[in-house]
Amino acid sequence: MNSRAFLFVLCALAYSSLAWSAPASEAEQYLRKAVDEVLATSDRASSPSALAEKVRPILHRHISFETMARRAVGPGWRQFTPDQQKKATQLFTTLVIRTYSSKFTPGERPVMTYQPAVAPAAGRVDVPTKLVYHGSRYSVTYRLEQEGSWKITDVVIEGVSLIANYRTQLDAKFKSGGAPAVISSLEQSVSRPS
Amino acid sequence: MKTALRLLMPAAAVFLTDCTSSKTASTAAPTPAPSSQVATTDALDDYGSTEQVSDPIEPLNRATFTLNHGLYNAIFRPISKGYTAITPKPVRQGVDNAFENAKFPMRFVNSGLQGKFDRAGKEVQKFGVNTFTGFGGLIKQSDRIPSLTDVPAEDTGQTLATWGLGHGPYIVLPIFGPSSPREVVGLAGDYALNPVNWLFKLRGGAEKTEWIPSAVNTVRSMPDQLDKYDSSRANSVDPYVSVRSVFYQNRKAASEQ
Repeated sequence: MNSRAFLFVLCALAYSSLAWSAPASEAEQYLRKAVDEVLATSDRASSPSALAEKVRPILHRHISFETMARRAVGPGWRQFTPDQQKKATQLFTTLVIRTYSSKFTPGERPVMTYQPAVAPAAGRVDVPTKLVYHGSRYSVTYRLEQEGSWKITDVVIEGVSLIANYRTQLDAKFKSGGAPAVISSLEQSVSRPS
Repeated sequence: MKTALRLLMPAAAVFLTDCTSSKTASTAAPTPAPSSQVATTDALDDYGSTEQVSDPIEPLNRATFTLNHGLYNAIFRPISKGYTAITPKPVRQGVDNAFENAKFPMRFVNSGLQGKFDRAGKEVQKFGVNTFTGFGGLIKQSDRIPSLTDVPAEDTGQTLATWGLGHGPYIVLPIFGPSSPREVVGLAGDYALNPVNWLFKLRGGAEKTEWIPSAVNTVRSMPDQLDKYDSSRANSVDPYVSVRSVFYQNRKAASEQ
């Protein structure tokens, strides 16, 4: 490679890194604000159940539960009627909020360190973080997508994606009994004490 | 930093094909996308199929899974509760630190076997710092040194994965839980590389006190193990499938680090 070509590649690299880091840092700023808001609210909660109630409206603002539910069901989603989709989204939302709020003890703040965000595709940004809570370290990656504003669409804890985990379960239910089986299994899970 | 560069390469390739001759582009294009990225987009696809898991003995595995659940609740949970009741949190943290520090040979050898010599070097530093300035590992002093706080722990299962060995069929082991032929070999390797078990192995475990380190190690790790088990079951639709999925995703992420 001659020196001019090399220079060109360098410029191209610089250009592409610029083009890709702008939405990444924008999404990261958004996530930081969202996380701070949730933590400030959960700090003031008196009990775990009160915590779930208090963070619910905030989570609704920052998490795209519609996208999450659609992906958690996977290939079968297209065969759901609009009513079934609505019902499944509702149940799934309850499960996610319960999962999230059960991990926190009111008044104890996790220490979060943000690592450089990456953009795996246009309109998508992954923000890896390290979280220290109750003396243990966890790696947590937030996946955000541009849906009008930035929204959280998946959380990956220690390599385990919330969406991928639910999809393996719900896909099996769909294959055995279609949309009604998916909905009744979600209902059962919601009614089971967590 | 290196991964960031690798992630940028496909972007550069696209840019180059857009505005230069195909000759320049072909020099940049062959960079393969890292495998973790492929998995990322797959999990995000709306209608893509789920990851294929080999579970030919599912009925037997489900039975063992149910048996384990009973055993955990009837035996391990009471022991774990007793242990947390009689030891204050700082003591438990210290004991955990000391046992994790003692597992240094496992992390060091496996970092080396995977050719991650930089990581092996960091493990030596960590072990040195924690052993000599942290009262034999009771205090994790290495957490105060930024370059040593996030060294991914390598184990034998990850080494086998790095060498290209697949999991094989899914097996639920009695007591141990989710595993696979590869991870069983991995567990055996980790056991052999853990000095806590050396006394027991060398002396045959017949004498009065040789079993103590292994037993303490088992008990002290119970609260954490049960916690992980509970959270992979919680709010699931099918606990068996959820725990299996957590196992596979978790091991995959660990071996890619």
